Parts: sequence; C-alpha cells; structure tokens
Amino acid sequence: MTTATLALWLPVLPLFSAAALAAVSLSGRARAAVPALAVLPIAAAAVLTFVVLFGHGTGAATESRIRYAATGGPELWLGARVDGLSALIAVLVGVVATAVQLYSVSYMAHEERYTSYSALISLFTAAMLVVVYSTDLLVLLVGWEVMGACSYFLIGHHWERPEARSASIKAFLVTKFGDVPFLLGILFLAHGAGSFRVQPILQHAIAQGGHGYTAAGAILLIGGVMGKSAQIPLQTWLPDAMAGPTPISALIHAATMVAAGVYVVARLYPVFLVTTAALWILAIAAALTAVTAALSAFAQRDLKRILAYSTVSQLALMVGALAAGGRDAAIFHLMSHGAFKALLFLGAGVIIHKAGTGDVDELATQSLRRKLPMTCVTMTIGLAALAGFPPFSGFFSKESIAGAAYDTATHSGPTKSLLGITPPSGIGWLVLAATLLTGFLTAAYALRTWWMLFGPLEHGWFRSAVEVSSRQPKAPEPAGHAGTAAEAATAADATTAAEVAAAGEWALEALVAESLREETEAAEQAAAKAKSGPEAPRAELLPLVVLAAITTVFGFVGLNLGWFATWLGDADGNAYRASAADAGKLIQPDGAYHLAPALLSTVLALIALALGLGLVLAAARAKPGTDPNHVLGFLRKPAFLGFRADDLQDAIAVRPVQVAADAVGFLDTEVVDGYVRGSGAAARLLGEGLRRIQTGNVQLYLTGVLTGVVVIAAALGFGR
Amino acid sequence: MHAIYPLTLAALLFAVGVYGVLARRNAVAVLMAIELLLNAANLNLVTFSSLLRDQFGMGQVFTVFLITVAAAETGLGLAIVLLLYRNRGTAAIDDARELGEDGALGLRRIPQQADGEDGAAGRTTSPAPKAVTK
Amino acid sequence: MNALLLAMLLVPAAGIAVLYLLPQPLAERSATRIGFYAGGVVLALAVVLACVFKYARTGYQGTLDWNWIPALHIRFHLGVDGISLPLILLTALLSALCFFYSIRHMPEGGSRRSYTALLLLLEIGMLGTFMAADLILFFVFFEIVLLPMWALIASWGGDGAKAAANKFILYTLLGSAVMVVGFLVVFAYTDSFDIAWLTVHARSDVPKSAALTAFALMALGFAVKTPMFPLHTWLPDAHTAAPTAGSVLLAGVLLKMGTYGFVRIAVPILPQAAPTYAPALAAFGVVGVIYGSLACLSIARKPDGDLKRLIAYSSIGHMGFVLLGIGSLTTVGMNAALFASVAHGLITGLLFFLVGGLKVRVHSAKLDDIGRALYRRAPKYGVLIAFAAMASLGLPGLAGFWGEVLALFSATKPGSGLRQGSYIAMASIAALGLVLTATYLLAVVRRVCMGPAATASEEPVTELTAVETATWTPLILLTLLAGLWPAVVLGITNPAVQVLMKGV
Repeated sequence: MTTATLALWLPVLPLFSAAALAAVSLSGRARAAVPALAVLPIAAAAVLTFVVLFGHGTGAATESRIRYAATGGPELWLGARVDGLSALIAVLVGVVATAVQLYSVSYMAHEERYTSYSALISLFTAAMLVVVYSTDLLVLLVGWEVMGACSYFLIGHHWERPEARSASIKAFLVTKFGDVPFLLGILFLAHGAGSFRVQPILQHAIAQGGHGYTAAGAILLIGGVMGKSAQIPLQTWLPDAMAGPTPISALIHAATMVAAGVYVVARLYPVFLVTTAALWILAIAAALTAVTAALSAFAQRDLKRILAYSTVSQLALMVGALAAGGRDAAIFHLMSHGAFKALLFLGAGVIIHKAGTGDVDELATQSLRRKLPMTCVTMTIGLAALAGFPPFSGFFSKESIAGAAYDTATHSGPTKSLLGITPPSGIGWLVLAATLLTGFLTAAYALRTWWMLFGPLEHGWFRSAVEVSSRQPKAPEPAGHAGTAAEAATAADATTAAEVAAAGEWALEALVAESLREETEAAEQAAAKAKSGPEAPRAELLPLVVLAAITTVFGFVGLNLGWFATWLGDADGNAYRASAADAGKLIQPDGAYHLAPALLSTVLALIALALGLGLVLAAARAKPGTDPNHVLGFLRKPAFLGFRADDLQDAIAVRPVQVAADAVGFLDTEVVDGYVRGSGAAARLLGEGLRRIQTGNVQLYLTGVLTGVVVIAAALGFGR
Repeated sequence: MHAIYPLTLAALLFAVGVYGVLARRNAVAVLMAIELLLNAANLNLVTFSSLLRDQFGMGQVFTVFLITVAAAETGLGLAIVLLLYRNRGTAAIDDARELGEDGALGLRRIPQQADGEDGAAGRTTSPAPKAVTK
Repeated sequence: MNALLLAMLLVPAAGIAVLYLLPQPLAERSATRIGFYAGGVVLALAVVLACVFKYARTGYQGTLDWNWIPALHIRFHLGVDGISLPLILLTALLSALCFFYSIRHMPEGGSRRSYTALLLLLEIGMLGTFMAADLILFFVFFEIVLLPMWALIASWGGDGAKAAANKFILYTLLGSAVMVVGFLVVFAYTDSFDIAWLTVHARSDVPKSAALTAFALMALGFAVKTPMFPLHTWLPDAHTAAPTAGSVLLAGVLLKMGTYGFVRIAVPILPQAAPTYAPALAAFGVVGVIYGSLACLSIARKPDGDLKRLIAYSSIGHMGFVLLGIGSLTTVGMNAALFASVAHGLITGLLFFLVGGLKVRVHSAKLDDIGRALYRRAPKYGVLIAFAAMASLGLPGLAGFWGEVLALFSATKPGSGLRQGSYIAMASIAALGLVLTATYLLAVVRRVCMGPAATASEEPVTELTAVETATWTPLILLTLLAGLWPAVVLGITNPAVQVLMKGV
C-alpha cells in the first residue's frame, strides 16, 4: 500500500470512531467503552499520519484516487494527494485531536452528553483529514463544511445556555457566509482547469497566469479563508465560539479548523501567487485583523476570549505571510501556533475547572501558581511562545514571517516566493509592519495574561526586584496582607514563592513578574508543590506536558538549513531539487529554503518583543493592583467590544435580512396570493356581472336575439 | 304592380310586429304582434313566389304552412296567457320575472308576493305597480 | 421487464378493487393492511426493476406500446430510462412508507377504506406520470394525481382544508390545461405524441415561432407544478392543510412531476425554443430560492409560525436550484436537477414525516405549541430534526449538497446561446440563498430542539416509536447514501442525460 492510498483511507478510522460512538449514544448501552472508542482510533490515526509523513519523506507529491461520480462535466474523484504540506498538517491534526480526546476523557467525564461530544470530535477529525488530504476540491469542500457543522454542534454543546445557542448559530452562519464565495471560487477554478482536482488546477494557474477563471477563483476563495480563519470582516464568530467546551476551543478554534483557511491557500498557492489582487486583499485583511485582534485580546477580561482574539491575530499573521510570499513561514507558524495555542486552551480548561471562572480579574485572586504548578509551567511556556520569546517555537516562526515579509519588501536576498514570482514589495512592507506591530502587542497581552493568571507575589518580591534594578519606590502596601511582608527575597526562587504563597491570600498588586527564570526551577519543584488537592487528572496534564515539550523543541526544526522547507516541498507539490532549473519546474532558489532567523528581522522582532514586555511592566508598575491594560486608554472600551464588529455585522447583515423576511412574509400572503385570490374574486364578479342580464323579462331576451340576428345579417351582407 | 309595394308593406308589417313583440306589455298584444310578424313573412313569400314565377308555387305552399302553424301557435299561446292571467290576475309579460336573477338590470319592479330567495323571486320593492295595460 | 411496468400500475388498481369488493366493515378494518401490501408489492417490483435495468443502455427500456386511440395518434406507451428510474424508485419508496405509517397513524376525517383507496389511486397516477412515453398518456396520469390529492386534503386535512384543496386543484388544473395546449401545438406540426420520437424529430419539424409558443405553454404548466415563483402560492396552503401522508407525497413526488416535465418533455422536444426561456426559468428559480428562504425566516421568527408552512416554502427554495440547473441547459445541470429532485424528495419527505409526528404528539405544528428543548424531552427525535435540518440546508455528506452544488456549477458556465455573465450573477445570488436556508433552519432547530434548563411546566414528549423508526430509517439511510456516494443517482441519470442533451 502506497502512502497515498494509506492517506486516502486514513479518515475511515476517525469516521469509524464517530459511527461507533453514535451507535452507543443512540442505543444507550456500552457507555464504558466510550473513552476507548474515542481515543484509540484517533490515536491510531495520528500514528498513521506519522507513517504517511515519514513514508512520503521529501519526495514529490503522490496521488491515489478512485472514481467517485460522473457529473456530465468534470468527474469527481475520491483521492488523496500527499505532499509535504498535507503530510505535515495531517500530523498536526492527528496529534492535537488525540491530545484533545485524551484530555476530554477526564474533562468531560461528568457530562451526560460526553458520548455525542466525542462522536462529533471524531467526525470532525475525519472531516479535517479529508480536507487535508483530498485531491478533489469538491470533496475538500465536503470535509470543510462537515467541519463547520461539527463546530456548530460542539459550540452548542451546552445548549441550555443562551450564549451557547447564539454562538453556535453565529459561528455556522458567519462561516457559511464565507463559504459561499469559497464554493463559487472552487467552481470557477474547475471551469478554468476542466477538473476539480488540485493538480490540473495548479498546472492551469501556472500555465495561464492570473486572469479569467483563475483570478476570479483566487479572489472568491479568499471569502472562505476569511470565514474559516476568522479574518476581517468575518472574524466575529470566533470570540463568541468560546461558549463551547474548552477542549473544543483547543481543537477546532485554535489548531485545526481555523487553520484550514490558511491551509487551503497554501495548498493552492500558485493560484494565489499569480493573482496579485488576491494577494493584496489577503495582505490588507491580514494586517487589519492582526492589529485590531491583538488590541482586542489586550482588552478582554475572559481568559478564553483573550485566547480567541489571540488566535485571530496569529492567523492573520499566517495569512499575511502567505500574502507576502512566505508560504513556508506561514506553515511553520501554523504548526507551531497549533501546538502552543492548543496548549494554552487546554491549560485554560484546567484553570477554569479549578477556579470555576474564566474572568482574569477573578483568577488573579486565586493563587493559581501555587495550586496549579504544572499548568503554570506549561502555560508559561505557551505564553512565552505566543509572545515570541526565544528559544520557544513562537520566536522562530514569527521571525520567519518577518523575514519573509522583509525579503519581499526589499526584493533582496533569496526571495521566499515560489514560481519565480515575488509579490509586490508594498505587500512586503505592509506585512512586515503588521507583524512587528502585532509582535509588540502580542508580547504585551501575553505578559498581561501571565500577569493576571500567575503573576505577582508579595510586594516583597517587587521590592527586591526594585532594589536590584534601583528603580522607583515600591507600590503602596496592600491591605490585608499577612505578616511575611518583610521577608527578604533572593533571586527568583520557588521556595520563597511557596513560603510567601503559603502565607495567605493573594492581593491584587502589581509586582514584577520573573516568569521566565521561575519556570525552570518551579518545574522541578512542581511535583512537591501540589497543595490543596491534586492539580488535575493525569489525562488532562499529559497533553499539556506533551504540547509544552513540542513548543519548546519545535522551533529548532526551522534552523537546519532547508530541512523543514524540503519536507514541505514546492508550491505545486514537488520536492525541492537542486537541479531544479533544467527540470523545467518552478522551484525557488536554493538559498531560500531556510527559515533560519535572519539578522535584521530577528533584531526587529526582538525589539518589538522587548517593547511589548516593557510596556506592560511599566503599566503594571504605574498602577499596581489593576489590570495592566489600562495603558490602552481610550482604545480600551472599543477594543473590548471588538471594535464593534458585531454591531456592524448586525446592522449590515442581520437587520436587513430580518426586515426583508418580514416583508416577504407579508408580500406572499397579501400580494402574490392576493392575485390568486383576486382571480377567484374576479371570476365571481364577472359571473355576477353577467347575471345582471338575466332579468327574467322575455322581451329583453328577444331584443337581444333580434339584435344578434341583425348583426349577423349585416356581417354576412357586408362580408359579401 | 311592382313588387316593391307588397315588399314594403311586408316590411312595415314586420316592423310593427317587432314593435309589438318587444314593447307591448299585454301578452295578448304580443301574440297579436307575433301574428303580424308571421303574416308579414307570408306576404313576402307570396310576393317572391309571384315575382320569380315559381312553377311549383313554393311560396304559396309555405304560406299555407305558415298560416296553419300560426293558428296552432296562437291557440297554444292564448291558452298559456289565459292560465297566466288566471294565476296572477294580470296579463303583463314583464311582470313574469321568476326566472330572473337577483339584482339584475330591472326596469320596472313590482313587490314580490313570495319570500326573497336567491334568484327565484328576489326583487327589490318598487313604487306602486303600474297599470296592467299600457 | 415489460410486464413489470404494467404490473406496477395494476397492483394498486387491484388493491382498490379489493378494498371496494370487500364488505364495508371488513374493508374498514383491513384497509391499511391491504394498502401496505399493495405498496410493498409495488416497492418490491420497483427494486426488481432497478436490478434488471441495464444501466449502460440509453433509451427506453421495458417498453409497453399499445395502440390506444389510433384516430388521435395516442398510444398507451410506457417505458423507463435513466431519467425516470430514480423518480420511480422514489415514488414507490415514499408510497410504501406512507402506507406503512398509516397503519398506526391514520388521520381523522373519513373512512379508512377511502383514504387507502385514494392513496393507491395517487400512486397509480404518480408512477404512471414517470413511466409515460406518450404525451397524452403523460397528461392523463398528470391529471389522475389531482383528484385523490384534492380529496385527501379536503376531507382529511386540518384547518382551512377545503379552501386549500380547492386552490390547489384549480391552480394545477389551470396549469395542466395550458400545458396540454402546448402538447397540441407540437402535435399540430409533428402529428405525433410519442416522446421518444419527438425528442429526435420535433426540433426540425416545429418552426421556431410555434416552438416558442408551445414551450411557453408547457413551461407554464410545469412551472405551476414545480412550483416556480410566482406561481407557487398554492403550495403553502396545501401543505399546511394536508394530512401527513398527503404532504409527504405532495412534496416528495408531485413537485417532481413538474421538474420531470421540464427535463423529459420541454427542453428535449423543443431545444430551439429552450435558450429563449431558459434564462427566465433560471431567474425565477433563483428568486424562488431567496424568496422562499426569506418567507421561511419570517415564519421561523413568528411565535405562531407553522412548521409545515415553513417546510412548504423551503420546497420552493430547493426547487429553485432545480430550475437553475435546468435553466443552464447543460448536461451537468440536468444531472443536478434530477439529483436535487431525488434528494429533495427524500429529505423533505423526512421533514414532513417528522412534523407530522410532532403534530400527533402536541396536536399542533405551530412553533409555540411544540415547545423547546426537544433535545432533552425526546433526544432521538431532536437529533433527527437536527439531522433533517442539516440535510435540508445542503450540508455536504448528505443528499442535498450535490444537487445544489452541481446546479451552481452548471449555472456558472451555461450552455451555448446563453449569456454567461447573467448566469454567474444568478448563481451568486442563489449561493447566497444557501446562507439564508441555513439561517432559518438553524433558527428552527434553536427554537425547537435547544432550550433553557428544565422547568416544572415542561411537557414531556413521547420518544420515537418503533413504527416511526422503521418508517424513517430508510429515508435517513438513503440521504446518507446519496450524500456520501452521489454516483448512486448520478450513475443512473448521466448516460440518459448525455443522450438527451445531445444537440440541445
């Protein structure tokens, strides 16, 4: 069995899991088998995705397909197209799905609808694998929309809550609204290439260039990207989707489904590269989204909403990278973001379960660092990666985006574009600026989030840091503080932290956080620190640890010259080959394969990082005891409301449709049916009119007869 | 004599007959007018038969038919009018409107003795009935 | 195979005969069982037909060609090919399911014997329409369907039944009268009513001006049946008033007779006139999609919105996609139209069964009376409603998707002689209709299936019964099958459509 055939039948495993779980749910029996049915097939599928990945290696794209249906036009194929891109993303999907299923075993154990929940997750996994592997765009669309449906059902899992009910519909409808141009885009591409399959479409695009059906298809596909990947103007569904269970947010709304939009652009990259208008649209939308979403994340109070807006922002970076020609950078960031965002969401789940709330203001009072040491460590790693702090994966991937944008902007150095086409340098500058600005904001809100969750300790801490750096006087004494205030603290030391923490309640004081040094030592003492009951079941902690490990290590894959890029392959699915030129294939130059940090972009990224961190530190010191996002000033309220995107959507789309619906309802019964009823009434009136002639007067009838005879005679007479 | 004379006479008789059929109220007058119509036709038949010098005299033959038919029809008609008169006390034709529709273009209406049923005898009230004969 | 078609028409006739030959009390008791046996036999015969049918051959198979009225060149000509086979199977299935369902759920309003006999007569009419290979025979069966449906609605229907039934029969009768004039125009030039012969020869024999007239007349007749906006207003009232079996068959089969007429008769016989009217068909179809969806949305938002009315308007929307596919005058479009017809029959049949079940339970189809949180009160029922809603909104993986997407595909590149720009615009608007469809269906699911936490005043709802499960499972399975393996329908229709569209 070739790897492509394996990939073709891979989705059957999660599908079987979904069917089995559905059967269990409907029959109500064999409830004990549910965790096994939920986790094992998915884990097996994940293992198989690794098999496909290594089996495919760095070869060119392979395809395995069977005839699906004849339409009278282009045939439909059920097939798998395995190239580096699909193999890598499938691995991401498999790993995250397994992690989430495992996590859900304990997280959702008390839920009565756990069976249907896990069935839907399995169905979702199957659909996403279909999207990743499919060689036929219509079959991809099948998986795409099934994912949307699963997302709808899963967000609405707690349908007793009104916010879950509205959020699920909103998610489905907003993404469906983006799916309409997506569908039309696929149809146009198919018309142009004469087939729905990826390979002919790519070849058509490369051969024909960016006009006609290809250009129309590219621009329309962006609609689906905007919908699924929550870019402006269709980003409003993602923050509200947090009403669903947290593992769902980890799986669907962080790592996989929202990445599908980015994935499709990467999959069909030549189509987009040749259509400059599409690149501009992507770049502008990405830039806007990245900055506004980062600002919104900074202003949110709910932990999951912070992470949601953060996802939107990071996705925008990926889209921007694609627009700027940096496909490899975008995929690199996609994978690293998938890992650390899933980690953050799962950790948030643990926190919310433990603390009973997701509001960061309340969480700040809950002494989470003491109660949840492992979670604290792993989430710190996650937040550090999010901020782009070296040496975590986020640093490398974000820098690679900046590097790609810089290369495109200056058309200097190895172009990170493929097909020999470089996007306009304007896009490069725009994306570079957006990346740096977003990096700055991301660092800021990442630190703020850490601050509110695990942040400051005794102002004794603060004082020590103050003394070390000989800065301003300490913050005012908090009220209700225990008597260990005068404890002299040495360098970031978990023992002291534990003693301080053991003393009593947290106070909402802004102190300097020394997260980064702390985590390495706290990690060693995490086991000993478990106080007030177990932190969380092992099923929940294991995924956290695994994902944290991945986040730490993954960044380095980008370093080895060309390693990651050679696995990814070329935009049209070939592997990079040194002897590319004479193969006639459009392959990017040798030196462009690396994703290693380039000096200038690294420096810029680090500057942005430092500025962001410094901003929050300064804000924290300026007003201790309050949320550092007061630094947003007048932007805080609009950012909190997502810059009123919901209201805009309501005014533009929702209200007019409701008005139109009521109008049509009235129109149909009164006007259109009015004509029908009117015809009946008209017939009756006509009859009544004619009845008036029936006077009963015989002489009147005779007069009529006579007149008729005269008329006929005259007609006959004149007719001669 | 020229044929125009009897033909004109026939036409005049026919016209008077039409007037009588359509405009007289009394049924007997209507019957008399019908006689006039028939006799006008008779005159025409005889005139043309003579004019065309018909060898069989078809015109006269038809005239004899017509006289017979007229007599029979008059007898029958008078019998009906007699019964009508006996039942209603009037021989006015335009008062016999039982087959008329409700709300039809009525010219002269008389109050109806029967109850107001749809189509059968529904009539609106009107000023006092006119004289039976005109 | 020749006997099969005739047998499929005679078995229900025999059923009627048996019903009326038996003495009245015995007939009343065993009416539903006799109906079920007859329906079951017809379904078995249909399955046999599907097995012996040669899928690679084009042209009519199993033909039965008798001289009927030689003086008028009318023959009793039955036949089946790839275009009619899926519809025949659908009819047999839905009728059998209706008979089975009626065993337990007979509506009030008249004798069981007459109800069953009317359903059997309806089945004869429906099957005959799809089997007829002669225009007047088609017309006869087309009309046979009207009286039983009228009687079913008028006698066994709910509120406003008589008025709805009258409107239904008069409107569709008007349409058929206009249609038969179109047939006669064609006859005037070709001297034949035979559909297969006309498909080949009528395009050369009928001059363009007469063809334009004939097509317009036929199209009007089929459009009333489809139903096409603005000739659709008979449908909501008829559906709201009809009993469950009546609604299922009305939506599941009768509407298909209109679209079948377009695909079988209007377009192939008069291809010289088709490009003139096709844009209008497509445009009205698209308007129907948007209009139907908005009307559904307005019903879903009202507290006393009637679910049956809502599903009726949704049928107008789905048939809009069928018309869009037909209006594109391409092979893909015709395939899409046929697929969408079959899918709509399955899905909307299921929907009407579901609402009928709700009506039995809460004695009303109004959203307010049904209540909320069906996921809790009757979980399987709620899940089934959600499934049917997903199928109706065209979720890929379920039957509704392929018809709609292929219709859009065909509309974005229509046949020769049609302006692509306007068709692309129409396809875009129709695609937006997909979002609107999702809106109202999910609004209904939210109102009916989801709901706040349990309160004391919440009334319980009976879960799915065995009869209901047995009746609806075939529909669910077929919806999944057609969605996951579209070749099951496309494979049947495509060869026949290829031949039909040659030269169009």
